[in-house]
Amino acid sequence: MQRSVSHATFVIERAYKQAPAKVFAAFASALAKSQWFGNAEELARTGEQSNFKSDFRVGGKESISATFHNSGVTHSYDATYWDIVENERIVIGYQMHLDARRISVSVGATEIKPDGAGSKLIYTEQGAFLDGYDDAGSRERGTQGLFDQLERHLARGGE
Amino acid sequence: MTNTNHGTFFIERRYDADPQRVFAAWSDTDSKRAWHVEGKGWEIRSYELDFREGGRETGSFHFLDGVKVFGEETTFSNEGVYEEIIPNERIIFTYSMSRNGKRFSVSLATVEFKADGGGTRLMFTEHAAFFEGADGLQMREQGWQELLGKLDAFLAKGA
Repeated sequence: MQRSVSHATFVIERAYKQAPAKVFAAFASALAKSQWFGNAEELARTGEQSNFKSDFRVGGKESISATFHNSGVTHSYDATYWDIVENERIVIGYQMHLDARRISVSVGATEIKPDGAGSKLIYTEQGAFLDGYDDAGSRERGTQGLFDQLERHLARGGE
Repeated sequence: MTNTNHGTFFIERRYDADPQRVFAAWSDTDSKRAWHVEGKGWEIRSYELDFREGGRETGSFHFLDGVKVFGEETTFSNEGVYEEIIPNERIIFTYSMSRNGKRFSVSLATVEFKADGGGTRLMFTEHAAFFEGADGLQMREQGWQELLGKLDAFLAKGA
């Protein structure tokens, strides 16, 4: 196999109406995070169960996997928490697999800052895409989608 | 208040040893210790390497001139996790660095080994998130330049 690594960085900025403590809680609570990160909206539609697990502490693991109906491919996410500063910063390292194939390893840093009565969220992902896997911006689009779901989750009261 | 900065650097270096030998200098605990850990100016308080996917590498170094250079007794510690290991081809790891127990960076490092004549072209890429009190991109790159130079000297000894 011809090995190759393609490096990519992207930054996403979002403004939320909720204060930093509320936004941080949506990451810190496994139940809350499962509501927006765990694909709960889609699962509610199809009636499936999520296998999302989160152990929110430095050194703790987080994972979720799902098999897409149209392709039959299982997408797996496996993360480790590297840094947590309450209400301010969360840094993870994570891998993505398509079935058994590892397609990327990344560091993702979420910064939460007060912005008026609300918050500004800045997410920076620096990643290595592996062996010719062509992301073509889908990671960034997917992450944008997650932060849309976070916004709807917070608008519902964030519980 | 937290402060987070992101950066990426890339170092390429050629070694006169073949990929098997260069890779072995990363995978074998005694070899890795010889070029990566030992040195003048610090006392090694601990060093452990568990070189397998998911395995950890930890080290703790007390700087002899800490009071003079940093104004206080100073111990640096590193903690890493091996994300991917492909023998003789690629190593991907995440790691954090701390000074006196305060974490100041989280990084993703990719090391690629390519056969080049009778030698090896090594490509090192680091994506880093630097926190309050961090060394920053320039010093980090300089540190790795020195380490990869020590690797050259280690290999030249024929070990």
